[in-house]
Amino acid sequence: MTDALRLPPDLPDDQLPRVLGEALTGLYTGEPRLPARAGGRTAGLAALHAWTGEGYAGRNFLGGNVSRLSMYLRHGMLGLREVAAHARAVMRGRERDEFLRQLTWAEFYRLVLRQEGARVLGNLEDPKYPARWTGTLPDDVRGARTGLPCADAWVTHLIRDGWLHNHERLWFAAYLVHWRGVDWRAGYALFREHLLDGDIANNALSWQWVASTFSNKPYFMNQENIDRFSGGRWCRTCRAACPFRASYGELETQLFGTQP
Amino acid sequence: MTAAQVRRVVWVHGDSLSVTDPALSACPDAPALFVFDRPFLQAVPVAFPRLAFMYQGVRDLAAHRPGPTELRVGAVPDELAAFAAAHHAAELHVTRNFTPDFARIVDGLRAARPDLRVVIHEPERLTSFDGPLRRFFGFWKKVEREVLHGEPAPDFPRRGHR
Ligand SMILES: Cc1cc2nc3c(=O)[nH]c(=O)nc-3n(C[C@H](O)[C@H](O)[C@H](O)COP(=O)(O)OP(=O)(O)OC[C@H]3O[C@@H](n4cnc5c(N)ncnc54)[C@H](O)[C@@H]3O)c2cc1C
Repeated sequence: MTDALRLPPDLPDDQLPRVLGEALTGLYTGEPRLPARAGGRTAGLAALHAWTGEGYAGRNFLGGNVSRLSMYLRHGMLGLREVAAHARAVMRGRERDEFLRQLTWAEFYRLVLRQEGARVLGNLEDPKYPARWTGTLPDDVRGARTGLPCADAWVTHLIRDGWLHNHERLWFAAYLVHWRGVDWRAGYALFREHLLDGDIANNALSWQWVASTFSNKPYFMNQENIDRFSGGRWCRTCRAACPFRASYGELETQLFGTQP
Repeated sequence: MTAAQVRRVVWVHGDSLSVTDPALSACPDAPALFVFDRPFLQAVPVAFPRLAFMYQGVRDLAAHRPGPTELRVGAVPDELAAFAAAHHAAELHVTRNFTPDFARIVDGLRAARPDLRVVIHEPERLTSFDGPLRRFFGFWKKVEREVLHGEPAPDFPRRGHR
């Protein structure tokens, strides 16, 4: 016999945080609470069938209609094939093609993980600029106390919902790696801790894509981009000294030391 | 002995939380086990909601499959070995994933139970592409037709064919 702890497989949601919390004492961070979205294939299928994909053309806007199916795909509760089949059946034209192309990123990253194995947890290539990154996540970032309303909101959303819009992930990653000079692995670990869809392949390889260790150039944004795709959510009332307020050319010189 | 007589158990891991998982589909009546990996969770911080999300996944598949489904907290290779022994199983079925943890656990299990046959099912794929990869754009050009239309390009070698 092992010293294993057994758990009943039929705990109702109202008992789940308490009973699972006790069984897993010392094995998790944060408070024992239910996830923002329910897990399981039944819940995943309901989410899939409810999703028509209408408006996916605006997917880069925080208010755009994205599927939020990533946590079900990540845990195999839904399969890439059935999600693709659903999209082919209910979506039309360029929106359908765009969705299927995004879905293919998940397949691509899984296959890169198969090809590279544990190497995806280190730089796959040299960064494309003279980067000097520190390894630890700054406390003000982790605590959502940077003083930048947008950056603090990204961390707050991450911890509260276990999900972030792709654009928020991109902005946060660029902020952390390029503006704060933090090694992408510290951001990867924070995401892996909190994202319901957090995995090795999509997470590590997306960070590497931003950091330019698995892409031809670093990803970065400016204030105009954040303002536009967030629908002015933070910028309109923001009083902070905005580190993102400059042209792409100016930021490129400032962050990467290269001339535009 | 025929396949039906071989006693089998299924290992359900965090990438396979669905009745449609290939290993579970291959053995609908066999006892299945999911383990919250204690040494792993001690080393890697994970917030509670994610673990609850996974629990809900196991609960859902337990409610939808004919065979029994168990949940434990412990070291995965040890628990799998004990589970297989308790059910007098000669085979353990599982669906592959590409994480380094998967390989580590399978190796640990094989070392602990050399007599247990570990049957690894291949995970579902969106495309049939099997070549080397570097950038998404090049990959997309090769699989575009297959993904958009649900069938491989005519000049594309199908998997399993020579
Ligand atoms: C720094 C960073 C870290 C990330 N970490 C993860 C992660 O841990 N797990 C994860 O699943 N995704 C990750 N992503 C990718 C992407 O942000 C999410 O998959 C997407 O936001 C999920 O929302 P959705 O399901 O509504 O996507 P939709 O736009 O509805 O797309 C449908 C599905 O396609 C796939 N997909 C879409 N966009 C991407 C993309 N850019 N890369 C890979 N797959 C994509 C996902 O499986 C997604 O569920 C990360 C992105 C960044 C920039």
